[in-house]
Amino acid sequence: MSYKIPMGPYHPALEEPYKLDLICEGETVSDAKLHIGFNFRGIEHLAETRNYIQVIALMERVCGICSNIHTLTLCQAMEKLTGLTPPPRAQYIRVVIAELERLHSHVLWAGIAAKLMGFKTMFMTCFELREQVMDILQAISGNRVNYSMNRIGGVNRDIEDPLAILAMVEALEREMVRTVIPIFTTSTTAISRCAGIGVLTNEKAVSCGAVGPVARASGLPQDLRRAAPYAAYSEMEFDVPVQEGGDVKARLLVRALEIMESCKILRQALTKMPPGELNAGESKIVFSTGTATSRVEAPRGEVMYSVSWKEGSRNPNRVHVRTPTFANMPAIRYMVIGARLADTPLIQASIDPCYSCTDR
Amino acid sequence: MTAVETLPKMSVLEALRETLGIADPWVENGGVRWLSPGTLSVRELAKAMNAAKARFVTITAFQLPGDAGFRLEYHWDLDGKLLGFPYSLSGKSIESIYDLSEAVDWIEREIHEGFAVDFVGREYEPLLLRQGDTLGVNLRDAVAVTEVKK
Repeated sequence: MSYKIPMGPYHPALEEPYKLDLICEGETVSDAKLHIGFNFRGIEHLAETRNYIQVIALMERVCGICSNIHTLTLCQAMEKLTGLTPPPRAQYIRVVIAELERLHSHVLWAGIAAKLMGFKTMFMTCFELREQVMDILQAISGNRVNYSMNRIGGVNRDIEDPLAILAMVEALEREMVRTVIPIFTTSTTAISRCAGIGVLTNEKAVSCGAVGPVARASGLPQDLRRAAPYAAYSEMEFDVPVQEGGDVKARLLVRALEIMESCKILRQALTKMPPGELNAGESKIVFSTGTATSRVEAPRGEVMYSVSWKEGSRNPNRVHVRTPTFANMPAIRYMVIGARLADTPLIQASIDPCYSCTDR
Repeated sequence: MTAVETLPKMSVLEALRETLGIADPWVENGGVRWLSPGTLSVRELAKAMNAAKARFVTITAFQLPGDAGFRLEYHWDLDGKLLGFPYSLSGKSIESIYDLSEAVDWIEREIHEGFAVDFVGREYEPLLLRQGDTLGVNLRDAVAVTEVKK
């Protein structure tokens, strides 16, 4: 006999407001339906009422974790419509902030995953490390969540002493290598809760259009920093970690390895940062009529902005945001089919969902 | 990237254009390689993109001024290149490609909900982003009266 267990939208095992209707046979999940939209904000519509300065501040609030990524993608799209090109130093600063954001997002996720595994000591360790990343972001931008770093044609603030930031990054990297990475990759507690759980096969990852670490953990080597480099990524050397397992363990390993790659990119960006201006120095920004699109590799995967403008207008005609969680969420259905009911909170968390982005 | 490295990728796009039977060339604009689909149906396009192993990215919907209808821009990724195919809708329906690519499920539902565009050939679950049963109130000026299957 099958029965339905509604989980959410407000449930202790879920970090954010969404709902999973789980169809179960005993303790085994046989199917699932996902419902979102409990906090839909209509931000795309709101963007049509904002001018080119206000819309950056608005889109920074699409997400509370990857806020910088949203302004970066938006500004890159608007730069295509204005013909402005950020100077080299601004491109490097964009890379630094994007990688710091990836670090704090991945470490945050590791903490949440540890909590859901019942590994609370690790949760505290991860959040202590995340604080260090946020301290660096605060030292650069003055802010801990919305950094206000990007503008059309460059960045708003300089990194005045890159080598001081480098020292902080290296201290963080040492701690990652000493604690987080070995514990997540060798601990019996972590492995036993993750191995063989919530499998997304390579075929399903392709058909669902999965992106980011979820896709890379199912054997798809896609990463826009490599495939379609933006900012200064074409000048950085790094690897794209890929795992074939498709389970929660594979997603854990991909993110753990990406933490190390982010540190590698940060070291290069901070040591090679060229001198120069922070922005294109425009006195007046003029938009041409048309639509421009930009994509970046956010911590959770590909973010795409499509921005449409009419010459002479103060506001955009249309801003369309495609977030990575919007692409990855439907795959959860396939991950939980056949899983034990008790594993479903960890499985859904393993895609690192962001409902702030999805309910944009 | 050297010129030699770019050649195979360009030829893949040209081969795709020939497969689609489209005479107009690819046009790069605003970060997208655009190809005007002409009379090619969106279902034929989706089949060709599946065969080319392109990854579906999204559909962007635009409401055109007055009674001009809508423009839907379909996007796929092929080896890091973002491809765009614009479709103009004089009415408010277009064939669904959900049965050909399950990755389009949520974005078809979202556009159906936000613009009241009907994707013919599929069923809709209750609204994706909001509670209630009225379509087209998020981004459209006028509220469209359309029934939603509950």
